[in-house]
Amino acid sequence: MGVLEVDHVNRRLQDNNGQEINVLDDINFTVNPGEFVAIIGPSGCGKTTLLRLISGLDQPEDGQVTIDGDRITKPDYSRGYVFQHGSLFPWETIEENISVGLKVTKGHNYDKELVKHYIDLMGLTGFENSYPHQVSGGMAQRAALARSIIMKPEILLLDEPMGALDAFTRADIQNVIYRVWEQTHTTMILVTHDIDEAVYLSNRIVVMTPRPGRIKEIVENPLPHPRSRVSEEFAAFRHEIQEKLNFGLEDVQEASR
Amino acid sequence: MLMSVQQTSQKKAAKAARDASKYWKKWHLTWNVLSLVAVAAAYFENKLVASQEMVDNKTYYWFLAVYFAYLLIVTVIGQFTNGRLHNYNGHFAQLNISLGVVLIIQDLLTEKFAVLEQPFFVSFAQILDQMRENAALLWASTLSSLGLWVVSFIVGTLLGVVLGLGMGRYRQFNYWAFPYLKVIGIIPAAAWMPLTMVIFPTSYMAEVFLIAFSVWFPVAFMTIGGVQGISKEYFESAKTLGFSEWQIVRKIVIPGALPSIFTGVYTAMGLSFTMLVISEMIGAKVGLGWFINWAKGTGNYTQVYAAIVIMAILFSVLFALFTKVQDYFLRWREKRN
Repeated sequence: MGVLEVDHVNRRLQDNNGQEINVLDDINFTVNPGEFVAIIGPSGCGKTTLLRLISGLDQPEDGQVTIDGDRITKPDYSRGYVFQHGSLFPWETIEENISVGLKVTKGHNYDKELVKHYIDLMGLTGFENSYPHQVSGGMAQRAALARSIIMKPEILLLDEPMGALDAFTRADIQNVIYRVWEQTHTTMILVTHDIDEAVYLSNRIVVMTPRPGRIKEIVENPLPHPRSRVSEEFAAFRHEIQEKLNFGLEDVQEASR
Repeated sequence: MLMSVQQTSQKKAAKAARDASKYWKKWHLTWNVLSLVAVAAAYFENKLVASQEMVDNKTYYWFLAVYFAYLLIVTVIGQFTNGRLHNYNGHFAQLNISLGVVLIIQDLLTEKFAVLEQPFFVSFAQILDQMRENAALLWASTLSSLGLWVVSFIVGTLLGVVLGLGMGRYRQFNYWAFPYLKVIGIIPAAAWMPLTMVIFPTSYMAEVFLIAFSVWFPVAFMTIGGVQGISKEYFESAKTLGFSEWQIVRKIVIPGALPSIFTGVYTAMGLSFTMLVISEMIGAKVGLGWFINWAKGTGNYTQVYAAIVIMAILFSVLFALFTKVQDYFLRWREKRN
């Protein structure tokens, strides 16, 4: 039922000078169905690369990524992927964008009611016929979420989908994602560099370090639902993650050397 | 509630952007009246100043009358309504004055004082009279040119788009075909003319080839660039949404390359008009290009002018149609002003 296993995965790429660099080094973890896992770490730690391997957009040099034991070799709509900038197709209206996955997989007899349902759920009613450039960044990102969720994926991969948004819109989209997760129990894997976001949404946090990209630690999120962004427990756990990410003074000293 | 408000403000902004190109000038009524005066002056000037040439000015008077009536109507309607005609009229009022002045000047320079000498320079009145006299032949020539152009242009555009999409999308095909495209496509279509005349069984086919040849290269070239410029994320989202290769081509590659394709087609249109006239001048027995060549042979330069005026109108209409089609297909793009 959708157990994801990342099994001793290495990913090597060539940099501009032709030097081989280890983008991912021996990544190994399991995600159970219905979990919400956040992958966090500074830029260059390979978190997006890891997400791309899970989606099947890229292949690892060593090791494998499997779902229920089957190796992932190519992208599939059972693993939805939401990009940082949404990447809605600008030549399609919001409604066309949301329904496009159903259209291409089920033909023109797709469930139009379902599309309407998701448009309502995402608060996009009234914007069905707008083009992506005509709506705000937050609405575009809601539409991008709807476009993936409507395919009823086993796993939804979120690649910093709130990274380009302002704080208010970000909180709003976080709530949307939380609601979807609560209602559908879709497995979610969220890549982010926003600690608050990881703490607010996830059950488990995978903390990564860069050069080479390694998993430093996997931390269980002890906070009960529903969560508050301003509670003391929230602040305490956030502090714990910050420390694990070396947000302390030693970082500053290293930088000034 | 909030959303509907947002939406109407969006629509308003879009409408304002559309209207910005056709604005209502200050002193509009003054300009309108002046344009009417200018056209009336053109009539009286022609009527009253003694002519150096024997010219039948009746068609010219009809033209001025219709033009005057048109200006009067748009002035009145523009004055009392607030719709599109209002803006349209306001925008073109000053241009209409200048057209009236140009008509007067050209008439004085040619017909009246023969500063520019006959038969190489003729008045607009003479051109109009010639168009009336030769209406049937000019009409047939225009239709023939238009038919030839449409067929050749479609052939060239389709060929260019298909090759461009193929080369833009498939690396192997690009490797084998692109160098040939670059070398063959850069040859001016006109250079093939002597060969096409002997190679093709009919001159019609030769003309189609020449015009299509002038079209396919810019279209193919721009299409390749258009496909290669599509953001990688669109392809990747398509894959994660379950698109097949054919669906990627149809729903990502083609619409994504479309802005670039239209730029290529725009360039190709100008080239194709040139090639249309040249090829008709050389091989054809019909068409506007042939008409010009024939008129040159008989020394009737007024007919040459008549054909040129028709070309100006025909090609302008085709360009305007192109713009309409382009605006429709690229309606998803952000309007820049």
